[in-house]
Amino acid sequence: MRGLMTKALATAALLALTMGAQAKETVVWWDFLGGGDGVRMKALLEKFNKENPDIEIQATTLEWGVPFYTKVQTSAAVGEGPDIMTYHLSRLPLGVSTGTLREITPDELKAAGIDAKNFTPANWEAAQVDGKQYAVPFDIHSVVLYYNKDLLKKSGLLGDDGLPKGLDGVENFNAALKKLKDDGVEVPLSTHTAAGDSQWRIFYSLLGQQDVPFLKDGKVLDGGDEQKAVDTLKEMASWVADGYTPANVEYPASIALFTSGKAAMHINGVWEVPTFTDLAKDGKLGFEWGAVRIPVLYNHPATWADSHSFAIPNNKGKEISPEKLKAVLTVIDWMNKNSLFWATAGHLPAYLPARDSEEFKTMQPNATYAVLADTAVFDPSSTIAGVASPIYEGMQNYFVPAVNGQLDPEEAVKSLKDELQGLIE
Amino acid sequence: MDRKQNLTALLFTGPFIVAYLVIFIYPTIQLVHLSFTDAPLIGPGAWIGFKNYIRLWNDGQMWKSTFNTFYFVLLTVIPTTIIGLALALMVNRLSGWFQSIILACFFLPYILPVSVVILIWQWVLDTQFGIAQPIISYFTGKPVAVFRDRYWAMPMVAFITIWWTNGFNLLLFIAGLRNISQDYYDAAALDGAGRFKQFVYITLPLIWPVTALVLTIQLILQLKIFDQVYLLTQGGPANATYVMVQYIYKQAFQLNKGGYAATVSLALFALIVVLSVLQYQVLRSRGQK
Repeated sequence: MRGLMTKALATAALLALTMGAQAKETVVWWDFLGGGDGVRMKALLEKFNKENPDIEIQATTLEWGVPFYTKVQTSAAVGEGPDIMTYHLSRLPLGVSTGTLREITPDELKAAGIDAKNFTPANWEAAQVDGKQYAVPFDIHSVVLYYNKDLLKKSGLLGDDGLPKGLDGVENFNAALKKLKDDGVEVPLSTHTAAGDSQWRIFYSLLGQQDVPFLKDGKVLDGGDEQKAVDTLKEMASWVADGYTPANVEYPASIALFTSGKAAMHINGVWEVPTFTDLAKDGKLGFEWGAVRIPVLYNHPATWADSHSFAIPNNKGKEISPEKLKAVLTVIDWMNKNSLFWATAGHLPAYLPARDSEEFKTMQPNATYAVLADTAVFDPSSTIAGVASPIYEGMQNYFVPAVNGQLDPEEAVKSLKDELQGLIE
Repeated sequence: MDRKQNLTALLFTGPFIVAYLVIFIYPTIQLVHLSFTDAPLIGPGAWIGFKNYIRLWNDGQMWKSTFNTFYFVLLTVIPTTIIGLALALMVNRLSGWFQSIILACFFLPYILPVSVVILIWQWVLDTQFGIAQPIISYFTGKPVAVFRDRYWAMPMVAFITIWWTNGFNLLLFIAGLRNISQDYYDAAALDGAGRFKQFVYITLPLIWPVTALVLTIQLILQLKIFDQVYLLTQGGPANATYVMVQYIYKQAFQLNKGGYAATVSLALFALIVVLSVLQYQVLRSRGQK
């Protein structure tokens, strides 16, 4: 009898729960945030679900890059995509060309209170193709130079302000690498030499510092720009050839070289800031670290940058309901309004009220490298560009072997150029 | 009576014929149709005649992929057959539970999923921690990132493939060897034939049908190489391991060109049909001599 009573009560409770859930609008969310920033996003998602009892986000994190974008493209094409997803703005023209993204109309944005005024014009327009809005920016992220203060200090490369000195200009930079090596530093500069995407970020930053367009009027590295690209690639390859940067290092290993204190400097995305912050907080890092904008090796400052944004997949045959759309836009708006916390993941908030706030201006190390936003160079707006694009694949296929001394830089640039040009025509 | 038999036959083969038509013949016809269109990965496209075929002919990376596919076939098919036969001859000499254990050891890799195989070898050959690197260093003087090296990449993919799939060939050869009657060997021994002569004049001719089968299966299988390349090198470095199926994957899933991907698929299909028929005929005629 008692058992029966318990069962009845349990059933009633279960019923009440499911009925409660029915009143909720569920939002299926896919992201690719598996790095140090993924932990921050999970906290944001939890906070959202707590503060918004009428919306429930069901989040899944998928593997960054080609796996994520292939899955998004195919699932949207058969109407099985999520309700909302993170998307790189660099890839937006490519995503629109494959029909993967749903337009967000001005009326819909207005109804949700999402206003272009709260974003820089360039950032907002990067989410458009032919004047139509396909995404809402969430952050701007870039690569920075992480440095080990203790090692730089020993080699006299640290200023009194705690920032690196004497790194600007190719000769100075190489002399600094040599000095570090001579002083017994095992790895003067750690980069992921095995990863095409990482090499692209460095390469594109250096091209930007020389005002060399990668793509102009439908031409890839046109005319004299090809030679400049070869020279830049040669410079990157020389760091490996001269023993300053180990060859064929995978992504996690390049971070490990820095966190273990073997590498004096490390070029990586701002999204790894939480990794170092958390390690330092737990006292596991064993040295003082900092992060600054990439040094000016050529004419003027410039750093590759990209933007995470939120987009709605164009689920074929399964048009999103007005209620669901409203919930999705509420999520997007909420995320931007809470993006100050996202900044602790290293990123610069796209939402200007957050970026201009006092708290952000004093947040370290973001405040030190935030200047990079003023001279950021974004991927060319083209269907061959962006994460998991033909450019990224070409980087892996041709530039990685060139950086590691496997392929002649001239041949690498030419092969890449020919392949990409063929795709444009 | 005859009619009734036909009906029964139809009833029994019917389900298979229907399934065959629906899941093989129909998609194949669609594939041919697709190859004449500019269709994206999903959805229909416009008819563009032979444009995809003309492009195929002038496509450098496609020829490179074809060349690499043949290179891979060369590195795997005959070596894996020889190794399979050699191991079978050795295992065949053992007996009882010991033979079973050895056989199981050789067969074990074959039952592993490809992802596990790749993970194992990525660790074994890891530049920093790989236990195989001292052996490589002994010959080259320094550790080699084998999957990032233009010259090492393909032979290593081939080596891993042989390690992974050889157990199956071994099993086929064992079955073939057990079919050869001991009487032949006894008679040959009486006539004074040594071990080598026994192998050349008895084992080899009698095992030939199995050998032909293994060679053909391997040829078809290795022409379709994809999983290992996709997981290990994605076709790099510098196109060194771009094989045909990897190229089909690139066209379809990365460049969203369903029509052209269908054209390359069809080229591969034609290649496999021609080569396997040719090879089997050649091997069979040799066996009948």
